[in-house]
Amino acid sequence: MSAEQEPVLAFDPRIEIDAARSRTAFGAFGRIRLCCLLIATCVHGTTSWAGAASTGTQPAAPPAHALPTADFAPGDPAGEWRSQARDYANTRYSPLRAIDTGNVARLRTAWSFSDGTQNGHEAAPLVLGDTMYLVTPYPNLAYALDLSKPGAPIKWSYAPAPTPVAIGKACCDTVNRGGAYANGKIIYNLLDAHTVAVDAATGHEVWRTRMGDATRGETMTMAPFVVGNKVYVGNSGGEMGAWGWLAALDVDTGKELWRAYSTGTDRQVRIGTDFKPYYSWMQGKDLGETSWPAGMSKTGSGAVWAWISYDPELNLIYYGTSNPGPRVPTQRPGYNLWTSAVFARDATTGMAKWAYQFTPHDQWDYDGVNENILLDIIFDGKPRKVLVHFDRNAFAYTIDRTNGEVLLAAPFAYQNWSSGIDLESGMPEVVPEMQPKPGVKLPNVCPPDIGGKDWQPSAFSPRTGLVYAGIFNICMDLTDHPQSYIPGTPYDGMEMKRYPAPGGNWGEFMAWDPVAGKKVWSHKERFMTMSGALATAGDLVFYGTADGWFRALDARTGAVLWSQKLGSGVIGQPMTYIGPDKRQYVAVYSGVGGAAMVSSSMPGFPPRGSTLYVFSLEGDSPHGGEGELETRGGAPAARSDHGMGGKP
Amino acid sequence: MTAQPRSAVAAALALLGMLVLLGACQRPQGGVTSNVAPAAASTDGDKVAAVPLGDVAGVAGSTYTETIRNPFTGDPQAIAQGRQMFVSMNCAGCHGYDAKGGMGPNLTDRYWRYNGVPVSVYKSIYEGRPQGMPAWNPSLPPQVIWKLVAYIESLGGTAPAGAYEASLRGDRPGDNVAPEAQSTSTQPASAGKDSATDATDATAAASPPQARPDAGGKP
Repeated sequence: MSAEQEPVLAFDPRIEIDAARSRTAFGAFGRIRLCCLLIATCVHGTTSWAGAASTGTQPAAPPAHALPTADFAPGDPAGEWRSQARDYANTRYSPLRAIDTGNVARLRTAWSFSDGTQNGHEAAPLVLGDTMYLVTPYPNLAYALDLSKPGAPIKWSYAPAPTPVAIGKACCDTVNRGGAYANGKIIYNLLDAHTVAVDAATGHEVWRTRMGDATRGETMTMAPFVVGNKVYVGNSGGEMGAWGWLAALDVDTGKELWRAYSTGTDRQVRIGTDFKPYYSWMQGKDLGETSWPAGMSKTGSGAVWAWISYDPELNLIYYGTSNPGPRVPTQRPGYNLWTSAVFARDATTGMAKWAYQFTPHDQWDYDGVNENILLDIIFDGKPRKVLVHFDRNAFAYTIDRTNGEVLLAAPFAYQNWSSGIDLESGMPEVVPEMQPKPGVKLPNVCPPDIGGKDWQPSAFSPRTGLVYAGIFNICMDLTDHPQSYIPGTPYDGMEMKRYPAPGGNWGEFMAWDPVAGKKVWSHKERFMTMSGALATAGDLVFYGTADGWFRALDARTGAVLWSQKLGSGVIGQPMTYIGPDKRQYVAVYSGVGGAAMVSSSMPGFPPRGSTLYVFSLEGDSPHGGEGELETRGGAPAARSDHGMGGKP
Repeated sequence: MTAQPRSAVAAALALLGMLVLLGACQRPQGGVTSNVAPAAASTDGDKVAAVPLGDVAGVAGSTYTETIRNPFTGDPQAIAQGRQMFVSMNCAGCHGYDAKGGMGPNLTDRYWRYNGVPVSVYKSIYEGRPQGMPAWNPSLPPQVIWKLVAYIESLGGTAPAGAYEASLRGDRPGDNVAPEAQSTSTQPASAGKDSATDATDATAAASPPQARPDAGGKP
């Protein structure tokens, strides 16, 4: 035990609102909650958040404009983490601040848990009440851990036994990006293209819905996203010519309510008279069909394999689509709508409201799937509801989320494929020499297929107004090989060699000002920075590296305040919660894999892993320390070896 | 500049058409042995299906595995054609353009989940394997599969023909064998001189052992 006992600050939302009323030093979060909960017609972004600067720490480069804000609906209890992004706006911001810039150097491992599966661990754990829920990579086990008992014993485990056929159909390791809690159930996707709901109390399967056909190259790796009684899921398979879609299922029955394809006719894409893209080149009938050579749109991918956001006021969901298929562009002349794009859809009906294609006729595998953080900003003196998106194509976009107008597009990572995005037309200006030709090696294309940033989600802090993201500094030599479509095999054709861009570092973690379109600070990393980001009211941001360093940085200055080397590389998403003992914990999976394996020949690259690490100040918890501690009750672990070597 | 891609696509489509025709021409003759064309696979063709997928219970071993050889092993033209097919039939998409693995396993190292002798590699392509490897029968005719195998053999990681049991046991050419273990071995006598030569060649050409034998990896 530490000599100096840290008073535990547990954030009860009821207390919070009172605190926000009475304490100006409380910061922006309390004020936002107050605003959202008590004032229904609140207009965000019109207030200057003096409170954010009142902590005494001056930002390195204070934004000259009013700080962006966000709606933190659905307003989950401050100490819990019920969905991968924590809120609809995808901020990955926690109001907890018992761990802060002043004490984070005393963060230590409190306990750990190995789930026994060896592939890329890309998920965040969920915490509800005194239970933690984990979802693993293939074979997609689920665990409930009882945080209230010593050793956090297993309450239940669930082994869905997805078909091993899916292993060889997943492009980028057999990863899973986690589950979502809804109405007493943990809902997640299986690699073999099924969605399952498990009773959060018992671990019994409530429903299982087959959404696609793994034998044809359709897999599922994304985390479901829940609004009300609907759960939204999408497919993976952008490298296999899988026809991309987003579907809404009923939370309680698993019945499919509607499905919107990313390519094809307006009917298939769920485009109706309400669809109003901002730019003229995206306006017209059946463009998801006619912007392709005849017969190619339905093997044109546009898979939906990452994040979804939701604006409750507009009742719109936002999500991106993957690269077109095949990846060899000369085989598919045209814009290839609606691949490498973002959709805004009515959350109830699934009908498209607007769309914007980041990379028309994508020639480099620049999926548009990365997260969209929904912020409310002052832009050119006017309040705007925007989404902030760091695309694989290395441009950061601030887009009006009511209509799809691009307000700002600026490069955030090293790139040489475009001289910029024309804000009049919304079109990127492509550097002609960077367009690959079949069979001809094109050297030094930046960024490579995995982009200036991949799926690893960024975080936003209302206290700084900044967005924090792990990004890449990578280039590739590219040779295209024309492909035939053979179901269940790659529809790909890109032969690549990847290496670091100028500077020699593969990774970087940055703070981005989404109003100015500028980096405020950044921290270079030798290895890839492929973990999610977490921002807290303690003015900390957390992330991990592919070689296994887990770090806490000062959100304002970028100073590294704490690091710890974990067993494997970190590509999971850090989260924070309050335990039953009222302590604040920070948790992250260590288990390298996924696209981070492109750098696996680097000296020092770690082996794979399967361990969740949980940290607290001084490592204090009921799961370690003096006295007779032992595991009592619970359930045994699931057999994790389905298809992984335990039986033929 | 545009002529080359167009002709490449045309060639790939023509080849695909040819393959479909060839596949359609094959007449089933019972079991899965029928598609091994006698001309290409010589007299061993009918025996391919009898090659066991794993070890054989209760007996010393399968004699078929010692006699079935790839008619194209070491043939530079066949290896080049095999390489061409490896890229055009999307094998490279999973196993990598350097065949060092990605979605699918590395084919250049000595780790073979389903045995590394040429006839076992043939079976893996022909019948598929349960973790995502599609069955290429009847899309690819036997000659093409043997050429693919010849290309994979040329990468140095396969076991020599006749070393089926050695590959099952995890023996590598040049390894020490403990005297007690040797007494259970039936391989040296049956593999013969020919196999020993192959083994030496394989040792020279093989890539260094991989620390990471996993299938997952690159995007």
